Amino acid sequence: MPVDAEKEINKMWRTLHSTQNEIGKTYYRWRQVAIEFAGEDTKPLDVALRAAEVFGKDIGKSFLPRMNWLKGEEGFLMILARSLAGLWNTEGGLASVEKGENPGELFIKCSRDPWPTWAKEYGAPMEEIALCRERMYQAILEDVSLFMNVSLKIELQKAISRGEGETIMKLSKTE
Amino acid sequence: MAKTLFEWDYSDYPGAKTYPHLFKPIQIGNLIIPNRIKYAATEDNLNGHDGFVTDAGVEYMRQRAIGVVGGLCFMQGVYMDEKRQGQGYVGQAAAWDDKFIPGLKRIADAIHEQKAVAGYQLMDCGRVGAVETDYCHGPSAVPQRLRIFKPVQEMTKDDIKVMIQQHIDAARRGIEAGFDIVEISGIVGYLISNFVSSYTNRRTDEYGGDIRGRMQATVEIIQGVKEVCGPDIPVGIRLCSEELLDDVRGNTPEESMETYKIAEEAGADYISCTLGWQESIYPVISRDIPMGNWIHLAKRAKEHVNIPIQMAYRLFKPGLPNEKIGAGELDIWEMCRSMIADPHMPKKVAEGREAEIRHCVACNLCLARLFRDAPMTCYINPVCAHEWQEEFANPKPAEEEKEVMIVGAGPAGLECAYTAARRGHDVHVYDKRDVIGGTLNEAKSAPYGDDELWTCVEYQQAMCEQAGVTFHLGTEVTDDLIEDEMPDTVVLATGPVYAKIEAPGGDSEKIVNLLDVMSGKAEVGETIVIYGNRKPGIGCALHLAKQGKKVTIVGKEKSAGFDVNPSFKWRYMIYMRQNGITVYNDCDIEEVTDEGIIAKTYDGVRWPIKCDTLVISDRGPNESLKKAVQSEGIELFVIGDALIPRNLSSAVHDGYRVGIRL
Repeated sequence: MPVDAEKEINKMWRTLHSTQNEIGKTYYRWRQVAIEFAGEDTKPLDVALRAAEVFGKDIGKSFLPRMNWLKGEEGFLMILARSLAGLWNTEGGLASVEKGENPGELFIKCSRDPWPTWAKEYGAPMEEIALCRERMYQAILEDVSLFMNVSLKIELQKAISRGEGETIMKLSKTE
Repeated sequence: MAKTLFEWDYSDYPGAKTYPHLFKPIQIGNLIIPNRIKYAATEDNLNGHDGFVTDAGVEYMRQRAIGVVGGLCFMQGVYMDEKRQGQGYVGQAAAWDDKFIPGLKRIADAIHEQKAVAGYQLMDCGRVGAVETDYCHGPSAVPQRLRIFKPVQEMTKDDIKVMIQQHIDAARRGIEAGFDIVEISGIVGYLISNFVSSYTNRRTDEYGGDIRGRMQATVEIIQGVKEVCGPDIPVGIRLCSEELLDDVRGNTPEESMETYKIAEEAGADYISCTLGWQESIYPVISRDIPMGNWIHLAKRAKEHVNIPIQMAYRLFKPGLPNEKIGAGELDIWEMCRSMIADPHMPKKVAEGREAEIRHCVACNLCLARLFRDAPMTCYINPVCAHEWQEEFANPKPAEEEKEVMIVGAGPAGLECAYTAARRGHDVHVYDKRDVIGGTLNEAKSAPYGDDELWTCVEYQQAMCEQAGVTFHLGTEVTDDLIEDEMPDTVVLATGPVYAKIEAPGGDSEKIVNLLDVMSGKAEVGETIVIYGNRKPGIGCALHLAKQGKKVTIVGKEKSAGFDVNPSFKWRYMIYMRQNGITVYNDCDIEEVTDEGIIAKTYDGVRWPIKCDTLVISDRGPNESLKKAVQSEGIELFVIGDALIPRNLSSAVHDGYRVGIRL
């Protein structure tokens, strides 16, 4: 039976999007459970930020085998920034990396982000998304910085929390 | 005054004439070593999980002591801390208390019984340690690159002082146990190397900073151990001559040579020249690295220090080390894996029995096992780690002589043949081919060192000749032949049956067999799909890609090369990428078309792949002749790929296990 390419691609695409959607929703389901267990005295934002930190710490470890200095400092930072953008893309975002004006400065720009849609569905505040993204990336960089013996910083520059426009983060090396 | 422990005269040994430099004495410290051969300390996971020496460990060492014919024989490195942070292997021997001395003495005595020099190694595994605890220790808490290792706790100055004292105390225990020479392990990511490397030592106190600071702990260990050893017991150290960690800003080669000079200044009596870390991204000892690839590092080391230099690393045959020792570029030939594969290897060299050596094939299965908490084993040597089991290592002669028909002269059949013949059976090996070796005849053509696999067949051939095995090559065994011969036992070692494509188009002319491709009998196009993502398929894909073909692998296994041990598999993954080979795992062939094939994933996604040739490498068990043998009431064994298609190792191990049971 000949292959109908459109049909096959459509099938894979639908599977991918369903998977991303289900993972995003599962995060918020777990968030609800964690907030419930944390009790009324704990702010939901603190729970979410702690989760972002734990995620980031673990993801950071998986970055280490790919990190190296063989392509120089600029190359290393580019690989790192692309890995951070790639992570966002895996979740269903559309992120890319642009060089900054100064050496050792890169911008990760995300022009499409599925997280606000899920957050809205589960009643999570929009500002939490950008703050969690920043905290997760910071946690990723902790082990990377230690491993490579370099001080790295990531800062949220701009967040469009409804998923429109661009969310921008700056990755830089500090002295 | 230099001391000789055991007198050895090699003048009657033919190998000493062929390789004269290997069999001349050398002085290390105040000890005369009769020859230039060393079994280097190698973990074997054969000791109790509490660190006590076992019978298995003692017998393992006894065989290696026989092998060094009077040379150096080192037991595995011992860990020295009760907290077990320095323990890197579940079966590593311990020396953190005097209670371990009697066990250690058993090993020293076993080595001495063979008139060999007993070596003892101190090994804190540092950032690759803590196999039984939650944290390992190191000079700085640099995160682990590989998840299998535990998080690192930074050592305080007090911790460092304690660690140095542990080395000294453990050295004393080794001496009390009767060892003649003490070695400090500072290699591949173990604690000493963690202190030495700029990658893992970020300290700013006296144990960090420049290379002298990073060597300070090592210097204190050498000096402390030297003091407890006294003038008669030499102290050596294993140090990286190149860390191969430039991707994470490890030491430069110049810094590494500086460590050699500092170790010599501190009193080291010799240096064992090593290279690479477990975290290095470069291969060092696998089969894809040519023999002798690293020997130039020994020469460089000798240019920097005046103490003897020892080295292993892809030196499996005696010619090169003999030459380099003669040229003054190396002092002692070290061996690890080559004496795992054949514990008596250097003895056979000395006795002029080189054809009887079972050569290591550099697959690194031994290492893969150790890292996964399994006892040592060898891909090619079924007796390895079973030396203490008399019925396995030295099987008794058969109670009743049988006429044994072995069908198939591949590695499984040959292993079974000589093992059974040695025990007194009348063994006849049949093969429809005119040559022995089975499918290894084709497999050896795969690139990246697979030609070394053939050494297995060469060894088996020599053993078969010695044991009086009768060969019937060019003879296909049929039901009638079995009926005519009516042997007492039939062993089917016929090799696998290659898969048939059951899907539409399965009779296409573009389908060829892997063996025909590897032997050059089949003509192939420029664009090729290989069906089967195990090792044979990978070997064939690389073989074709090297000829400039565009190759795609389609296979049912979840990951390509799942039958290759993890310590070697990563090499294949890299080579497949480098050679532009596309791999689709978890897939089957749904249809063979005029243009190529239609592949289908496990969950039903389909897509076309163009190809001129479809190579079948997927295999199944071989059921032929079974019924004929069983219907005659003849004892039957099925071994190797005929039983379940696996790899060379399984073939050899199957053959041996059946050979000792007949």
